[in-house]
Amino acid sequence: MPSKNEFDVIIIGGGITGAGTARDCAMRGLKVLLIERHDIATGATGRNHGLLHSGARYAVKDSESAEECIRENKILRSIASNCVEDTGGLFITLLEDEEAGFGLDYQQKFIDACLRAGIEARAISPSEAREMEPSVNPSLIGAVVVPDGSVDPFRLCAANVTDAAMHGAKVLVYTEFIDFIREGDTILGVKVLDTRTGLKAEYRAPVTVNAAGIWGHGVAQKAGVHIGMYPAKGALLVFGHRVNNVVINRCRKSADGDILVPGDSVTVIGTTSTKIPFEECDHMEVTPEEVRLLLREGCALCPALASTRILRAYAGVRPLVADDSDPTGRSISRGIVCLDHETRDGVKGFVSITGGKLMTYRLMAELATDLVCRKLGVNQACSTAETPLPGSVDGRIETVSKRFEGKVTAGQKGAAGRQGDLAGKLRFDSEADKQLVCECENVTLAEIKYAVAELGVRTLGDLRRRTRVGMGTCQGTLCIRKAAKALAEALGDPSLESKLAADYLDERWKGMRAVGWGDTLREMEFMQRVYKFEKPYSYDEI
Amino acid sequence: MRFDVVIIGGGLAGTRAATELQKSGLKCILVAEGLSLNNCPKNEFKAAGGTVLQGDRVVSGVFEGNRLIRVFTEKLGNEPLEAGQFVLATGKYFSRGLVADMDKVYEPVFNLDIEYDSDRLTWFDPSFAAPQRFLEFGVKTSGGVALKGGVPIVNLFPAGEVLSGVSSAQGDATEQILNSAREAVRAIRRN
Amino acid sequence: MQENNISTGNFEQCQKCSLCETVCPVMANNPDYGGPKRSGPDGQRYRLKNGIFYDDSLKYCLNCKRCEVACPSGVRIADLIQQARIEFSQKSPKLRDVMLASTDQMGPLASAVAPIVNFSLGLAPVKGLLDFTIGLDHRRTLPKYSSETFVHWFNKNAASRQDSYKKHISYFHGCYANYNYPQLAKDFVAVMNAFGYGVHLIEGERCCGVAKIANGMIPAATRDAKANMSAFSKSLVKGRDIITVSTTCTMTLLEEYPELLKVDNSGIKEHISLVEPFLYKAIESGELKPVWKEGWKARAAYHCPCHQERLGLGIFTTELLKMIPGLELTELESNCCGIAGTYGFKKENFKVSQMIGKKLFDDIASAAPEFVACECETCKWQIEMSTGVPVKNPVSILAEALDLEKTSELNCR
Repeated sequence: MPSKNEFDVIIIGGGITGAGTARDCAMRGLKVLLIERHDIATGATGRNHGLLHSGARYAVKDSESAEECIRENKILRSIASNCVEDTGGLFITLLEDEEAGFGLDYQQKFIDACLRAGIEARAISPSEAREMEPSVNPSLIGAVVVPDGSVDPFRLCAANVTDAAMHGAKVLVYTEFIDFIREGDTILGVKVLDTRTGLKAEYRAPVTVNAAGIWGHGVAQKAGVHIGMYPAKGALLVFGHRVNNVVINRCRKSADGDILVPGDSVTVIGTTSTKIPFEECDHMEVTPEEVRLLLREGCALCPALASTRILRAYAGVRPLVADDSDPTGRSISRGIVCLDHETRDGVKGFVSITGGKLMTYRLMAELATDLVCRKLGVNQACSTAETPLPGSVDGRIETVSKRFEGKVTAGQKGAAGRQGDLAGKLRFDSEADKQLVCECENVTLAEIKYAVAELGVRTLGDLRRRTRVGMGTCQGTLCIRKAAKALAEALGDPSLESKLAADYLDERWKGMRAVGWGDTLREMEFMQRVYKFEKPYSYDEI
Repeated sequence: MRFDVVIIGGGLAGTRAATELQKSGLKCILVAEGLSLNNCPKNEFKAAGGTVLQGDRVVSGVFEGNRLIRVFTEKLGNEPLEAGQFVLATGKYFSRGLVADMDKVYEPVFNLDIEYDSDRLTWFDPSFAAPQRFLEFGVKTSGGVALKGGVPIVNLFPAGEVLSGVSSAQGDATEQILNSAREAVRAIRRN
Repeated sequence: MQENNISTGNFEQCQKCSLCETVCPVMANNPDYGGPKRSGPDGQRYRLKNGIFYDDSLKYCLNCKRCEVACPSGVRIADLIQQARIEFSQKSPKLRDVMLASTDQMGPLASAVAPIVNFSLGLAPVKGLLDFTIGLDHRRTLPKYSSETFVHWFNKNAASRQDSYKKHISYFHGCYANYNYPQLAKDFVAVMNAFGYGVHLIEGERCCGVAKIANGMIPAATRDAKANMSAFSKSLVKGRDIITVSTTCTMTLLEEYPELLKVDNSGIKEHISLVEPFLYKAIESGELKPVWKEGWKARAAYHCPCHQERLGLGIFTTELLKMIPGLELTELESNCCGIAGTYGFKKENFKVSQMIGKKLFDDIASAAPEFVACECETCKWQIEMSTGVPVKNPVSILAEALDLEKTSELNCR
C-alpha cells in the first residue's frame, strides 16, 4: 500500500493551468497532489482582464490561437456557466486607426480571418454599435460584433480546484516548492515548505508537472533544465462600476490598453506590456505612466472613463516562452508549450506546461494530462470538455436565487451569482448568517463560513478571491474589520483577527495608492480614519 | 443675508468656533455640507441663536482687495451670505475641503494657497499603518489668515483639518483642532 | 487627464461612510428596509449588472431625502432609489395607490360631493371598509375635501381685480390648496395683493405629479410635468414669475422633473420661487414694506418639512417669520413627521409612520406652542392628527399678522 506521501502525479502551481491539470488528472483516476506557494489564482491567473476571448483578437496574425480560443470559449460557456458572462464583444474602428492604416479595409480583413477561424463576426453600423453599447466612443467609424464575454478567473480556478478535490486530489496551498527529489536523471518527487508553519515535507510521484507560470522558469532550473522565459508585466485599472455591458476592443494590431471588460460589478481596462526582470515578478507596482497610458487608451474606447472613479490598479506577469525551434531564443512561442523533459532534456518524470492563456487553460491541462497518462501507462480519455464544473451544473443566478426559502435577500442573490448552484450549501440558520459583512458586494456571514469550510480560505485575500469581500467601492473600509473577525472565528482562532485585517489593509492600500486622487483619495483618508481612530470624537468631552 | 461671521464647515473646528463666536454676541451662520464624521451636534450653537445651513455648501466667494466680502452657496443661489469675518473649516479630502486630482491638490472654494508635493509618488507609504504624507497637506496661513496668490486674506481664518499639518485620520488631533478653532475665535474677536 | 467623477446621481462618490443611515427615519423603525446606502448607491452597482438585484424593499423609502441632506459626498441617494423603483418595479400600482396619487382626479370628484365624502370618510364603518378593501389605514384622519375649490372661488371673487395691480405673478396653487384647503390659497392672494402684486392662475396647471411618482405612475406623472412646463412657459412670456406655496410641489418642479422624469425645466426653473424666499428677499431689500398689526402676538414652533430641508430654503421661512414683531418663534429640531405624502396613508406603513413621527410629536408637546408653523400640507395632517396642535402655513401667519390694509396702502401706490 502506498504511503500518504506518494502520488501518481504532483502538480506545482495553483493557477488556472495547475488547477485545470489537477482536475483533469483526478478525473482520469490519478492520485493527484497540487501544491501552491500562496493561494490559488494569485499569479497571472488572477491578474488579467477576465476576458472570455472569442479569439477574434488573434484571428489575423495567429489563426491557430484564434481557433483554439473559439473552441474553448464555447466549451467554457457550457461547463463553466457560473464563471462566464455572455456580454458579447465589439471591435471598434476609430478615425485614428484609419490614419494608422487600420481602417475599414483592415476591418474586412479582420472579419474574413475571424470567419475562417470559425468565429462569428459581423460588421454593424456605428449607430447600431452605439445602441448596443451606449458607452462606446460615439465617434467610431465601424464596429464588428464577436462572441466575447467575461470570465471570473478566481471563480473558474476555485471551481477546478474544488472539482479536483471532489475527485480525490490533495490540494496544499501555502506550500512552497523548494527542490526536487532526484535520483540520477529521474525526478522522484518534491521537497516542500509549509510557509505558514515552517515545516518541511517530501512527496513522491512518478511524474511531476511544472505549471508554475513565470515562476516555472525557476522550477525548471532546479531540475537542471532551461526554459527560455521572459516575464512581461501587464498593468490594469479597475473602475468603480460597470461602465459598459459589452466588451470593447480596438480593431487594429494589438496594442496597450485596448480591451475594456465588464466583469461582475466593475469594469477593467488593460493592459500594458513591459518586459521586467525576474526579481520584480513578486513586487510589481503600477507606475503613474502606466496609469496615464491606460486612461488615455481607455478613453478612446469609452470616453466616460475620464470621469469614472478608479478603484485600484494591479499588474500581472505573462509568461512569454521562447520558441524551441529558434536557436537564438528570440522568437516567442505564441501557443501552448507542453514540454516532455525526458525527450527534450533527458530528465525523466518531469513535464512543463506553459505559454497559452487563461482561455485555453483546459486544453493546456488536457495536453499535459495526456502526456502524464502516457508516461504512467494510463489509458483514460479526457472528459473535462463535457463535464460541468461545480457550481455550473445549473448555476444561473435566476434559478439558484429562487431556491432560497422566503424572501430572497441581496446577500443570497449575491451568493447565487458567485457560487452558482453550490450556493445551496450556504446555511442561513440565524439572523446573523443573513447579515451582510461586505455591503458593497453583498457578501453574508453565511457565505464567509461556507468559503472557510469548503473552499480552503486562510486569509482575507483568499476570502476575497472566493467571495469578492472588500472588492467593492470602499475597498474594504467598512468590511475588513467585520470580515477579519468572522474569518478568525471560522478558522477557530479569534486571536488572528488583527493580523488578518492588517495584512489585507496593506494589500488593498497597494492597489489604491497607484490611483490615489479624487474620490479614491477621499476613500483612503476615510480608511485611515476607520482603522486608526480608536475613539470617535464625542462632543461632551470638549 | 448679512451676518457677523460665516463659518464654512460643520465639523469639530467649525462647530466649536461658531458656538464660541455666537456666544460672544456675534451673529453667526454655519454652513455644513452633509453630516461630519465627527458627529458634532449643533444644539449648543442653535441654542445660542446661531443659524445652521445643513446640507448646503459654499461654492464661491467675492473678494474686495485683501478681504473676502461675501460667499454664495449652492442652495441659496443668488442670495449671498455677507459677513465681516469668515472661518474656513472644511476639513481635508473626505469632507472636500481639499481636492486632489492626478497631479495636484487644491482648495476648491477660493483656490487658496496650499502646501503639498506635486510628485504623487511621495504621497503614500506602502505600509497602511505608516504615516502618510498626503494627510499632511493643507492650506497655508500667515498670521492665522489664509493666503491667496501669496497675499494674506485678512478676514479669512482657516481652522481644523483644512490646515497644513493637521489631521486626525491617523491619531487623536482633537487638541490641535480645537486650538486652531480657538485661535480663529480670538483673532475674530480682536478684529 | 481625469476630470471630476460624474455618475448617475453621483452614486460613485459614495464613500460608504453610512452617515445617511444615521438619519434615515425608516431604517430606524422598519427592519425590512435595507436603508439608504444599500438601497441607493450600493444597490445601483449591482442593478447595473443585473436587474435581479432590484429589491422590493425599496418601496419602504418615503423619499424624505434626509439622506441627501446628511450626505457629505453629494450623492442623490433618494433619487437613485426612486429611479430604481421607476425602472425595475414590476408591479402595477394598486387601486388604492392610484386613488391616493391621483390628487387631481379624485379632487374634482370629491369636491363635488364634499359633505357626503367628508361625512362618510369620518365614519368608522366606512374607514374600516377602506382599510379592508383598499388598504387605507382606518386609524388615519383622512384629509377633508372642500365644497368649493379655490379656483372656483378665485374666478368668482378675485380674478377680476388682479389686472389693476402694477406688478404681477403667476400662482401655482397645487392640488391641496385647490381641493382640500382653499383658505391657504385665499390667504396667499390676500398677502400678495396687499404687497401690490396681481395674482394670476396658470392656465392649464396640472398636479405637480409627486404622488404619482411615489406610487409608480410614471407615465401619468411625466404627462403632468410636460403639461406644466408648457403652461409655465406661457406664463413667463407674460413676464410673470411663478410663485409656489407647497414645498413638495416646488421640489418636484425644480428637482424631480429633470432628475426622475427627465423632463427638462431649464430656463423655467430659474423663474419658480417659493413664496417665503420671494417675500424675504423683497422685504429685506426694501422693495416691499410690511405693516404689522398693532398688538398681534403669538407663540409658534417652526417645523422644517423634509423637502424644505432638502431644498435648503428653510432659512428664508425662519428669517421671514422672525421679521414679525409679535411672533415668538422656537425652531424644532429637524425630524420627519412620518407621513411623507401618501406614504403614511397606506395600511402597511401606518405604524412605522407614527413611530417615525414620535420624536417630533414629543418635541412639539414639550414646546407647547399655540400653533406649529410649517410650509407642508401633509405634515399638517400628520401633526394635527397626532398632537392636536394646529398647524399654520407661514403665508396664513403673515395674513394674520400683517395689517393688510395699511400694507396695501404703502405698497400699492
